[in-house]
Amino acid sequence: MKIKNIYKVLPLVATAMFATSCMDKDWETPDFTENPPYGNNDIIQYDADNVITIKELKTKYSNVINGSSDGLSEITEDLQLQAIVNGNDEGGNLYKQISIEDNTGGLIVGINGSNLFPYLPVGQKIIINLKGLYIGGYRKQAQLGALYNGAIGRLDTDIWEKHVRLLKNDKLEVKVDTIAFDEKADMGELSGRIVKLSGVTVSGEGTQVLAPEDGSVTLTSNCANRKINGKSNLVLRTSSYSKFANRAIPQGTVDIYGVCTRYNNTWQILMRTESDLKEK
Amino acid sequence: MNKLKLAALLSLTTTLSYAQNTVQTETEKDMKQDNAAFTFTESQLGEDDDMTQNVIMVNSNTNLYASNVGYLWSPVRFKFRAYASHYNDIYMNGVQVNNLENGQFNYSTVGGMNDATRNQDAALPFESNSFGMSSLGGSSNYEFRASKFATGNKVTLSAVNRNYSARAMYTFGTGLKSNGWAFFGTVGYRWANMATAASQGTFYNSLSYFMAVQKVINERHSLNLATWGNPTERAQQGASTDEAYWLANNRQYNPYWGYQNGQKRASRVVNNYEPSALLTWDFKINDDMKLTTSAFAKYAMYSATRLNYNGQNPAPDYWKNFPSYNYDVWKNSGTDDEIEAWTKSRDYWMASDRNRQINFDKLYFSNQQLNTTGHDAVYWIEAKHNDHLATNLGSTFDWNINKAGKLQLGLQLASNKGMHYSTMEDLLGGNIFHNVNTYAQSDYASTASEIQYDLNNPNAEVKVGDKMRYDYDLVSQNAKLWGAWVKDKGNSHNYITAKIGGSQMWRNGHMLNGFYDPAKGWAANASYGKSGTARFLDGGFKAGSTLNLGKGNAITMGVGYEARAPKASTAFESPEMNNNFVSSLRNEKIASAELGYALNSSWLRVNLTGYFTHSYDGTEWQNFYFDDVNSFTYVSMTGVEKNYYGAELGVKFKVSSSFDINLTGTMADAKYVSNTNVNYMLSTKGTVNTELCYNKGMRESSTPLSAASIGLSYRIHGWYLDLTGNYYDRIYLSYSPCTRYDSALRSRLNGDENTPDPITHMRPLGDIDNETGELILKKAATKQAKGKGGFMLDFSIGHQFKIAHRPLSVNLMLTNILNNTGICTGGYEQSRSDYSTSTDGSTSERTYKFSNNPKKFYAQGINGMLNLNYRF
Repeated sequence: MKIKNIYKVLPLVATAMFATSCMDKDWETPDFTENPPYGNNDIIQYDADNVITIKELKTKYSNVINGSSDGLSEITEDLQLQAIVNGNDEGGNLYKQISIEDNTGGLIVGINGSNLFPYLPVGQKIIINLKGLYIGGYRKQAQLGALYNGAIGRLDTDIWEKHVRLLKNDKLEVKVDTIAFDEKADMGELSGRIVKLSGVTVSGEGTQVLAPEDGSVTLTSNCANRKINGKSNLVLRTSSYSKFANRAIPQGTVDIYGVCTRYNNTWQILMRTESDLKEK
Repeated sequence: MNKLKLAALLSLTTTLSYAQNTVQTETEKDMKQDNAAFTFTESQLGEDDDMTQNVIMVNSNTNLYASNVGYLWSPVRFKFRAYASHYNDIYMNGVQVNNLENGQFNYSTVGGMNDATRNQDAALPFESNSFGMSSLGGSSNYEFRASKFATGNKVTLSAVNRNYSARAMYTFGTGLKSNGWAFFGTVGYRWANMATAASQGTFYNSLSYFMAVQKVINERHSLNLATWGNPTERAQQGASTDEAYWLANNRQYNPYWGYQNGQKRASRVVNNYEPSALLTWDFKINDDMKLTTSAFAKYAMYSATRLNYNGQNPAPDYWKNFPSYNYDVWKNSGTDDEIEAWTKSRDYWMASDRNRQINFDKLYFSNQQLNTTGHDAVYWIEAKHNDHLATNLGSTFDWNINKAGKLQLGLQLASNKGMHYSTMEDLLGGNIFHNVNTYAQSDYASTASEIQYDLNNPNAEVKVGDKMRYDYDLVSQNAKLWGAWVKDKGNSHNYITAKIGGSQMWRNGHMLNGFYDPAKGWAANASYGKSGTARFLDGGFKAGSTLNLGKGNAITMGVGYEARAPKASTAFESPEMNNNFVSSLRNEKIASAELGYALNSSWLRVNLTGYFTHSYDGTEWQNFYFDDVNSFTYVSMTGVEKNYYGAELGVKFKVSSSFDINLTGTMADAKYVSNTNVNYMLSTKGTVNTELCYNKGMRESSTPLSAASIGLSYRIHGWYLDLTGNYYDRIYLSYSPCTRYDSALRSRLNGDENTPDPITHMRPLGDIDNETGELILKKAATKQAKGKGGFMLDFSIGHQFKIAHRPLSVNLMLTNILNNTGICTGGYEQSRSDYSTSTDGSTSERTYKFSNNPKKFYAQGINGMLNLNYRF
């Protein structure tokens, strides 16, 4: 009797087992090659002739960028930048901003969002429709952004995403160039580019970390400005919030890569990630 | 002769019982009851996502109140006396089966097998029973012997609009055959997909089976083997803030799902399967003595996924995404820019559900972008696993010494190995991921051992399916002896019962957390390998009496005291990291008493009960992100002291033979009566902070402390109609300890929110005494968040038809027919501060006020279940 009954129920159990497959299926990876889910895919890429270069843009607005006090101006013409991301917040040292360059120069873009680097990695080619955005200078550092309390501020992410389009790599002829740093270079021209400091020593070498919070180095806006030995108007600027703030400063000479920026007439080099510091 | 023999066999398989033990028949009530248990508890989770649920199911055949509230108030997740679920002991054929690690019984593991779980022997906290000393929140013993189930075939079909949409069950039972064999089996399936589930973005996929076979060997011996399980896959619903519900125009808004390539995808999916087996030996020693022994084994697999991230939280209801992040509407003093930002955010939320759900496309795209630079994925789906292997043995010896007295002696042995680890479920398009603690990277260099989750495998690459972050076992063992003496004397029924037990526990770490680098002087087993063993001796007693005053009047009373060993789930400081036990770990002590009055007459039944419980030296454990230290924290509270007290009423008027009026009500309190010491470990630093948490007066949460019902019940010509109105009130939300830490309160007393009123010069939160430095707190400083209660009307109708001379029951149960969607069923305060703390310790007020935005769950609007069952 018992055996028979088990046979009566077991097939039911077995059938039900097979019938009930997994509901949370294996999800396929979507393909975003043509239509990335960030930015504005309706932006049309202009011919090279109709594009403004970063150098041209900085020249056009040099009076607001280089004024003795911080100035800014709304861009009212239908202009397009075609550029490549050369610096972002991956290491947490650039905060709510990215840096971009084309073959003529570099620029900072202020965006009111953190964690920009996943969709704007270094090497991402972008086009930006400038009409409606603001350009200005913060202590003479050229920056693209929005009006904030009478000065150049950050773009809200939704506005940024309306003005930018992420391009496939083969659609734009531009690459990130690393330029050997030259203290005597034109500050307006070099700022916004990636530079390499070769064979330098950093103050605090061998004893300190880059941006400690223990008070051993003065922090301005949570950042440590480390002197590059032998250079009078050049600092390595590192945020104590950056992911490499606790990186020990190596003893001896190092090579440093970073985004070149200016604070009035002082050069400030911002490493993007820990790997921008190369021990010899 | 044969008949006589059969009768003897039957009597043997009947569990010896007292007072309240009757085998229930399938009435409309228990049908509602067993549906209720699993309908409202599975989809909504509390603050601690590891807990599968926190539910107590009480039942009773003696007390009207207790027999009603289980199903009556299940729509608002009513908890009996606001007790935590580990105070509710569950037995199966006499062996206790609560999870030894956390003390809870996971009711969903017996879900969908209603015909198997219907037979229960229930005991209220102060009722004697046949299986053990009844627990603070009552005890139940499931009857799983094949011969005790109904004979015949039964098919049940249900259409539901709750967390599942359809259910089918088939049950077959032979009863006890003349050859001594009995067989019972039931198989069921419950289903909902994202289009049909009542809660947005959830699904439900659950198969259940139960089989029992019994052989009555002879007049003295019988063996029963039961096995069951219910592989279940279900998506979860999350609590959100009132602001989110307003923006979504839906109080069932669920932030846990999103769109991927245009399809709906759930981020939190629970997979649970706990195959169990139970072997029972009934030994009738003689007419007065009986030995019942059951062995239980279970291998439980439980995993719950969640979307995890490194960087910005991708949750759509992350606080920075809300309109009120830009502008505080409570203050009404925003700048034009702030109000514009608020309006823009509001419009964005309201424009489309795509804007308020997870955008999986962006997460995939980000990870794919990072593949080009060789960076680790920053978004991924992770599964937290809580598996366990349990083996339990329970043996009870019953001795009817004489007609008026009975002795019971029992032994319970239990062992549990809980296996806890996290795995990578889906890299969401990413190519690579490493097992490092990115949160510690802000305090340590990338080469520091501290950022490693497993120093034995530093910088290990994590592929889909691989373990990550933590991996440890918690082993708990317990042995318990109990005894009971039950004696009827004159007009009284009396009992005394006591237990004594020993337990031990340890942790076994399978990863060496980087904060415990042996090269830096830590003991080799600080994190990896076996911890020390903690041992506890506990026990207690209960005594009770029922005095029959005649004419249907009776007084019941009971007192009890017990010491309860801490559970492994709360005994470790930060089990994801190290082997340390919580400091000053002690037995929790509980004193409780109850006094009741019962009346039973031909037209009126009344049960009125008052109770008081005091507990102290309790230990609680939780984990959360704590703003002020900018770190995830593992929090243990010791010396927890609570009072529970209240009154309960159940009344049944028999107006006529076909019409009853039922009244059910409770007024209760359950709260901390002193402030509690708190230790919390920072996951980013590995250091422990100790301070006082001002949680005195905090109440048990997510249950109404006041509830009342009036029910009209009409029965005629095989039809029944029920109409019940329920009122719920005093629903508190789970308090957040960290906003009540001494340090946090000092920050708040020094902060902007404590600015003196310009006219009265009074400070809203209190002061710090200049001389002693002590806190002088006003109530506003620690006020607990509450949810709104309300009125809910339920209706049910049913009839039994005959089809081919066989009974077909049709029942329709409609809950909340007035569609009151404003009843809060619970939730929790956010464990974050209204100010931000900078590295120098100074604070600045945030626009977004976490204190005004607790996360809540609301009761479902009108919902129902149509049930058909046919016996043949």
